Amino acid sequence: MSKPIIDIKNISKIYQMGSQLVHALRDITVTINENEYVALMGPSGSGKSTLMNILGCLDTPSSGTYFFNNTNVRELNDNELAEIRNREIGFVFQTFNLLPRATALKNIELPLVYSGIKKYERIEKAEEALRSVGLEDRMEHKPNELSGGQRQRVAIARALVTSPSIILADEPTGNLDSKTGNDIMRLFQTLWESGNTIILVTHEEEIALHAKRIIRLRDGLIESDEINNNQVKF
Amino acid sequence: MLYEIKESILLSFEALRTNKLRAFLASLGVVIGISIVIMMGWLLGGLDKAMQDTFSIIGTDMLYIDKWDWTGNDNWRSVRNRKNITQKQAEQLRKLHGSAEYVIPNINQWGTNIEYDGEVYQGMTAVGTTAENAFTPVGNLLLGRYFNEFEEEFGSNVIVIGHLVYATIFKGENPLGKTIKLNGRPLRVIGVVKKRGTMFFDFIDRQMFIPLKKYSAIWDVDKKSMSIGIKAGVDNNLDEVRTETIGLMRIIRNLKPNEPNDFSINETKAFEKSIETLRLNVYMIGIVMTSLAFIVGIIGIMNIMFVTVTERTKEIGIRKSLGAKKRSIWLQFLIESSFLCLMGAILSLVMCSAIAYFAATYLPDYFPEVSFLLPVLPTELFIISTVVSIFVGLLAGLIPAIRAARLNPVEALRFD
Repeated sequence: MSKPIIDIKNISKIYQMGSQLVHALRDITVTINENEYVALMGPSGSGKSTLMNILGCLDTPSSGTYFFNNTNVRELNDNELAEIRNREIGFVFQTFNLLPRATALKNIELPLVYSGIKKYERIEKAEEALRSVGLEDRMEHKPNELSGGQRQRVAIARALVTSPSIILADEPTGNLDSKTGNDIMRLFQTLWESGNTIILVTHEEEIALHAKRIIRLRDGLIESDEINNNQVKF
Repeated sequence: MLYEIKESILLSFEALRTNKLRAFLASLGVVIGISIVIMMGWLLGGLDKAMQDTFSIIGTDMLYIDKWDWTGNDNWRSVRNRKNITQKQAEQLRKLHGSAEYVIPNINQWGTNIEYDGEVYQGMTAVGTTAENAFTPVGNLLLGRYFNEFEEEFGSNVIVIGHLVYATIFKGENPLGKTIKLNGRPLRVIGVVKKRGTMFFDFIDRQMFIPLKKYSAIWDVDKKSMSIGIKAGVDNNLDEVRTETIGLMRIIRNLKPNEPNDFSINETKAFEKSIETLRLNVYMIGIVMTSLAFIVGIIGIMNIMFVTVTERTKEIGIRKSLGAKKRSIWLQFLIESSFLCLMGAILSLVMCSAIAYFAATYLPDYFPEVSFLLPVLPTELFIISTVVSIFVGLLAGLIPAIRAARLNPVEALRFD
């Protein structure tokens, strides 16, 4: 058994929406191990975004415990959460979320800036990450000079550059056509095969089928959590 | 950290470039504030220099006994009714004075004409004095020498001319040994005084010095009041010399104990006081205007920083998701607001430098009173305005920066 990276027990998240309390998550318990490929599925309002934000240390649960690599996340302050996000988590977003004024290389360098790595080392690592997603000839391009698929590759390179414990992808193909989407999914498969842990948040069955394990959420509860025996591979 | 600062500066520059007009309008208050600080410093710098120049003319170790009060502080009517200071009184003072180094009688004939090379020049001042006048600030010569005690004793036909007299009459030609006519009497030029005129004493370079004996051969010395220059020798002896002078003058002028002095003691201290008042006025007006401008300026910058934070909410979310700490976020916005103010300060400095240069170069031609203006801004103003602008930027950016740093990353990422 490989070691657990994410270990959450009985977590709940309650929002105050006006005078109403919204239970976005109710008593969720999940463990995700190293080098798993998990799809987090569910319709909108199922709580999967909330769970992703908590897993990504962007948000904290209202109750329950969350251990990330044996660190109790609930006890961390804002700066410590920022450090975890910086070192341990690589985000890939549906809308890419690249800084529009910065070149591909600068975008990828950014997480390294926040971890205080020296310039030459930063550039070296950023170039390597860009090479690993096949964009070594687009280093000095700004996001608006890149296609959607290329932007998402830059975003993936940015997620990879700090060698995080997990890659957290939120609808990574949502803004891409199916062919480009397939390319991105192929890239995730490669990353998984080379030892990365990937959590994929999606509402599309087709995309979820690329994962090894599928967790389905509904109304803030885990509906099912099973191994995907029909994993689609390239 | 260092890289973050560098990156933030580049980012601020970029933001400034894409929003030139907005940045300009936002920093207008700061530009005005800094400009007032600069202009105030510039005026005060000029006044200080004028004061120094004046002191060097008068001499910080000099007292001048005169019927007139030079600063105009004494009551005009009572001053006018004072009896003239006669040559005899001056001589008495010279003999009796113990603590002063020199006691030098002076008598002025205003608006005299001189003749040289067939041309007549008007509006000069002839001064009859002793050879010891050479030891006062007037003795600082550009050319030649002062007349000596023998020439004084014999009332020789010699003259030492002021710089303006030299410039007007000789126009760069060597004046030494040349003869000019004063009231029809030929006099040999033996010296030229260095240029000394300032805003307070523009007439001073029109003076010409001749031995007192010569003066009394031309004019009636008893028709005018004398001015007696007293050199204390060393500055810290001045109080003693002043006390003795007042005592002696009261005896010489036969004043009863209850009568006020019927003469004035003129010295640099009196000017110090009137310049200090002027200084204070400039300062007070400057402070009020600067504070107002800075309040408006800070509000302007703060406002634009709030707009910037809102515009960049998504970016803040992205940065936070990548691991930016609060410090990184507020640092970025503080640097941006300081940078904005610094650019305002640079703009002010450029503008004010131009104003100072043109004002000091061309204005005195029309208004000689402002000849004290400096053509170049004092160096410390560059440092002051830089520091002040950065401080204002930090102050104005503080609240927006804290707000940016506090943004919830989840909500910030959702922002469009």
